[in-house]
Amino acid sequence: MSDYVTLENLRLAYGDTVAVPGLDLGIRQGELICFLGPSGCGKTTTMRAIAGLLMPVSGRILIDGRDVTRMAPSKRDVGLVFQSYALFPHLSVYENVAFGLRLRREVGLDAKVRAGLATVGLERFADRVPSELSGGQQQRVALARSLVMQPKVLLLDEPLSNLDARLRLEMRLELQRVQKETGITMVFVTHDQTEALALADRIAVMRDGQIEQMGTPEEIYARPASVFVADFVGFETILPQPDGTWQAWRPGAVVLGSGPHRARVLGVSFAGERRDVILETLFGRIKADLPAQAPAPAAGDDIAFDLPPARAVQLDRA
Amino acid sequence: MKGVNILRWVVIGGALAFLIGPFFVILGAALSGGNTLAFPPEGLSLRWFEKIFQIRSFRASFGISMFLAVFGTLAALALGIPASYAMARYKVRGAELVRIIVSSPIIVPGIIVGLGLLRYLVIPTGVGITPALFCAHTAIVLPYAVRVVSASMENLRADIEEAAVLLGCSRLGAFVRVVLPNIRGGILAAFILGFITSFNEVPVGLFLSGPGVTTLPIDMIGYMETTYDPSVAALASLLAFLSIGIVFAAERFIGLSRYV
Repeated sequence: MSDYVTLENLRLAYGDTVAVPGLDLGIRQGELICFLGPSGCGKTTTMRAIAGLLMPVSGRILIDGRDVTRMAPSKRDVGLVFQSYALFPHLSVYENVAFGLRLRREVGLDAKVRAGLATVGLERFADRVPSELSGGQQQRVALARSLVMQPKVLLLDEPLSNLDARLRLEMRLELQRVQKETGITMVFVTHDQTEALALADRIAVMRDGQIEQMGTPEEIYARPASVFVADFVGFETILPQPDGTWQAWRPGAVVLGSGPHRARVLGVSFAGERRDVILETLFGRIKADLPAQAPAPAAGDDIAFDLPPARAVQLDRA
Repeated sequence: MKGVNILRWVVIGGALAFLIGPFFVILGAALSGGNTLAFPPEGLSLRWFEKIFQIRSFRASFGISMFLAVFGTLAALALGIPASYAMARYKVRGAELVRIIVSSPIIVPGIIVGLGLLRYLVIPTGVGITPALFCAHTAIVLPYAVRVVSASMENLRADIEEAAVLLGCSRLGAFVRVVLPNIRGGILAAFILGFITSFNEVPVGLFLSGPGVTTLPIDMIGYMETTYDPSVAALASLLAFLSIGIVFAAERFIGLSRYV
């Protein structure tokens, strides 16, 4: 399948500060892509460039075969759900959702607004103003406001980061459902690997304005391509090898209680299903975990451990 | 403890008397039946309130003051709203300097502004008194306009404009549809504050007055120099009621005290 959204050698800068030196990326139609990376990695910058809020220094952006690089944001058929929702405080929920449709003088406006509100389950809140809604509800309004425009691409900036844990899970399912129902191509930005792994069809892990690794959540999770990615997706123990490569273990892969190495237990913390154990070893600090039912070591204990090579992931670059 | 309580009420009462007292003295003097400005009033009558409407020059100067207060404040808003917007949204080089220059009419004494305008604008260029007054009042109101509008702009997130742009607005359209409605209260508050400031302005008006062109406060001073009757007190009372009425209405409808 050919790409629906194409970024070609895209170079982005704020004044003299280059945020993204040259990015190539293809996104397929109907795909849910996640830009994952720490703050300052260029993920939000790239998203703002797709939206047209930031003019690229050079390179091209194509959406559905059309070169939109120099096009005004409003002409691109791109929707954006802002991290802070950016609802219009002086307008009702209904008018917020109707805002773009009114500008387009769209026929059947009322039906479309009602349908948009129904999609996010907020029909009963049409007459409220944003300040009367909870964070999760405001987020839904922002989503509906973008969806009714039927954009070719919907961008979401850290869509779940302002919500509490329970709402986050709910909203995650909601986003997946909406994406299935509408078949809309979505790009979302996050620094939270759990969110990325749960939601995305493909993840682009970003670092210093470059794509460090691109792949399905399964690929990224099981076969990180570099130390950077491994660190980002939860490999807590990463050790350099004599040949200049690295090996990485998740906390669950570390064997405690037997093995050739010794370590001092620095701390143990209960985490529900398991206990997290921090060890001081000859190679530095590492993190292991134990099932909650297993007998727990105490801080200060001297303990044997093993890093089985069979459970390590081989990393060739930093 | 009781002593402290009494002391507190004495202090509060004293402050209130100091602030509001003069108004009641003027109101009392205005209601006087006698022929000279005096307090306590000699009998009660409304005839001085009637008389002020028959004094020709008061009508003319009221018109000028009204014109200056309305259009000077509108001009200050026309300059101040874009300035506030630019300073809130963009990293303008020298924004701090602009802020200082814009507030300078508050800092520079009105006498200096008045004398300066008279000596270096009106006299050499022969520009009329009214245009000079208009410029002066615009400048005097500008600091209030910028400050009050800036304060209401501060609470407004920049990304709502980006949201509007992505939904199909132009940049200007986003300003009109999304920014203006949300700073409406601040603009109205700035207008009221500016109107009252301009209407009560004395020092500049003292210098910028000519035959037939005088602001109302200056005209009232002039009148008192020749005619020491209670009509000035009556007029002052009416103006005070006007101001109080405006501020009360503004508080009721937009919550003026949130902005100033």
